[in-house]
Amino acid sequence: MHPGAWLTWATCAGVVTFTTTDPFYLMTVVAVAWFVYTTQHVPGPTARSFRVFAIAALATLAVRTSLVVFGTVDASNIAYAALEGARLATLLIVFGTFNAVTDPYGVVRLAPRRFHEPALAAALALSIAPRTVDAVGRVREAQRLRGIHPSRWRSLPSLAMPVLETGMENAVTLAESMDARGHGQGTRTRYRPERWSMGAIATVATGVAAAAMFEFAAWTGRAELHPSTSPLSWPQVEPLLLAAIALLAVPGFTRRPPRASLGGRGPGDEGGR
Amino acid sequence: MMPALRFRAVGFRYPDAAREALRDVTLDVDAGTFALVVGPTGAGKSTFLRAANGLVPHFSGGSFRGRVTVDGRDTLQFPPRALADVVAFVPQDPDASFVLDRVEDELAYGMENLGVDPAHMRRRVEEMLDLLDIERLRGRSVRSLSGGERQRVAIAAALAAGPWILVLDEPTSQLDPQAAEHVVAALQRLVHDQGITVVLAEHRLERVAGSVDHAIGLDGGRAEAGAPATIIRRLAMGPPVARLGRLAGWDPVPLTVREARRIAGAELPTPNGASAAPRLVTTSDRRASITMAGVEARHGELVALHGIDLEVRPGEIVAVMGRNGAGKTTLLRTIAGVHEPVRGRVRVGDHPPEPGIDVGMCPQDPESILFADTVADEVRATLRARGLATGPDPILEALAIEDLADRHPRDLSAGQRVLVAVAAVAAGMTPGLLLDEPTRGLDPDAKERLVHFLRGHANDGGVAMVATHDVELAAAVATRVVMLAGGEVVADGATAHVLGDSTVFAPQMTRAFGPGWLTPEQVAAALA
Repeated sequence: MHPGAWLTWATCAGVVTFTTTDPFYLMTVVAVAWFVYTTQHVPGPTARSFRVFAIAALATLAVRTSLVVFGTVDASNIAYAALEGARLATLLIVFGTFNAVTDPYGVVRLAPRRFHEPALAAALALSIAPRTVDAVGRVREAQRLRGIHPSRWRSLPSLAMPVLETGMENAVTLAESMDARGHGQGTRTRYRPERWSMGAIATVATGVAAAAMFEFAAWTGRAELHPSTSPLSWPQVEPLLLAAIALLAVPGFTRRPPRASLGGRGPGDEGGR
Repeated sequence: MMPALRFRAVGFRYPDAAREALRDVTLDVDAGTFALVVGPTGAGKSTFLRAANGLVPHFSGGSFRGRVTVDGRDTLQFPPRALADVVAFVPQDPDASFVLDRVEDELAYGMENLGVDPAHMRRRVEEMLDLLDIERLRGRSVRSLSGGERQRVAIAAALAAGPWILVLDEPTSQLDPQAAEHVVAALQRLVHDQGITVVLAEHRLERVAGSVDHAIGLDGGRAEAGAPATIIRRLAMGPPVARLGRLAGWDPVPLTVREARRIAGAELPTPNGASAAPRLVTTSDRRASITMAGVEARHGELVALHGIDLEVRPGEIVAVMGRNGAGKTTLLRTIAGVHEPVRGRVRVGDHPPEPGIDVGMCPQDPESILFADTVADEVRATLRARGLATGPDPILEALAIEDLADRHPRDLSAGQRVLVAVAAVAAGMTPGLLLDEPTRGLDPDAKERLVHFLRGHANDGGVAMVATHDVELAAAVATRVVMLAGGEVVADGATAHVLGDSTVFAPQMTRAFGPGWLTPEQVAAALA
């Protein structure tokens, strides 16, 4: 699907998440994001990075909630902190989904020509995290196979040094490769610009509709989007708003377009783990 | 006609290096040449190649003298990006050079930068996919590819931009023999049909010696250019047939199987099996057999190994061979105890393998284990972790790298790093020693040391297994070859038997003199 459609989807899902702290709405957003992720993610390393986002989301929820200990610990404060944490966690899940369903470079290409450089730098920076996760796993295993256990703190250099030095060497190689292939020469053309499919248009339309409904609800105060935590009250659920969130599931029903189809077998063996 | 590459009195020293990596190099590479850069490991081959498109000195720093011109452009005035339309470079480790995620986008990247017309770009990408036989990979993430697949994608990506000089650093080091043949044939076609100049460094001369028409010999930073036969003879290097020629006193030494056959004149009778039979040692404190029974291993959904039954006894040196992606690495990792099989069992002696204690394994990228400041400290780290009292000297001597003891591992050439990594792993004195593709960057001399070392390990009652694409290494050292295809064992037997049967995996001596002949030493003795 057109990366612009995904960008719109993620933005709208983010807007919805940001507008509410109602746990039922947030849980529905998470469920919808999970559905979109399972049906649309690109197989391969991105699946691993989604896990990283999911773990980060849980950690955020836990940390935000536990910050309560610095103030008055009572049910109201805990509930307030937990709902704030849940909102951040939901945002992370939405972003993780966006990350898993698009090729970061596809998004870079959307940037106007003059913003291409910073956008590319951002995309490369984003790719460092999954690469480092890969490298840590590889080095840890390799050191174990020579009898060194990098889990012990004394052996930390045996893990850190290869990861950092290889990371540095790789960064230089990448910079060299980009330069040697004419990066930054000015005149650029685009290879196979993505077309807007019906699915992409539907995704944008329904996403914008969902965000608009939430904004309308927030603006008019017609529905309660922030359940009261002091005094504690049971969150209200407006069926129409639940339906709005369900609209965000639309991209999950689109067919993955043929150009992203996978040829041949799954992940490679030699060195491709 | 203007030469494609012109070096004039080029000297270069890396920052903080004690000696020059290139010294007074003066030579021309004419347009439309298929040139081979050859020389021992650490001789300056990579530096030479990188100087050919300005990466040296623009990215390396250091002190540069003299002048390199590429298609008439001085590399000091034109940075690599300003040369991108004429010269393309494929580095030794293509993995880190990928900019984009999807294969197809990676191929188009260089053209996008050069502002190539989209319609032309589209057609060009398709041509490259066909030329390197990677059409089925087009939608894949580059990070999900096997080593050989990555190498082909990197070459296609470099070629796509339509340079007329293509510089490659060991482009076949991670390829199986068939894939290597494809790549070399594709390069040759580019030279012949499209007049492209190809400059490549390669240690496995048996793969390219018959195809190149020019050679640049490097030794200690000094260069000499000329006909391949002359240069290879002067450097006392060469494919196994050249080694045979030298042993037998032939002049000139042959470079191809065909020439060797013609010079030798006669077919040799099939040797009796005695020399090829595995020598089994059964009396040693390090003995432990490796057994696998009904092993199945997976990567996620993908079945990587299936129905593997294998027993490797002390004293055996087993070469694990097969196409890229056949399951070689997974087999080694399963034996080493770091990849849990979903079915079947793996035993070293009578218990499941304990990584680093029963079995040591040297990974495909030696960089992933090197962390110490000196080579000696690198070995000491293993010794300390394993609680061994010996010093680093014996193992360094066994691999003949004692002269590197005080060097920083990361400053070494790719081939030297491999030997250091092997030393670091083998220092653990594990009964099982597994090497995954250990020949990247290894010159024949370094390979010889590795062969000698592995024989010593086996003679001491150890088990050695080497996953390799290098048929000549297998012919030189293996007592037995296990051939994998699609995760299953398709052949398992004595080296002469398995390699002699194969059209793709036959070493040069077998090709020249028939089944049973594996090494130049063996043939030279028979001819004498």
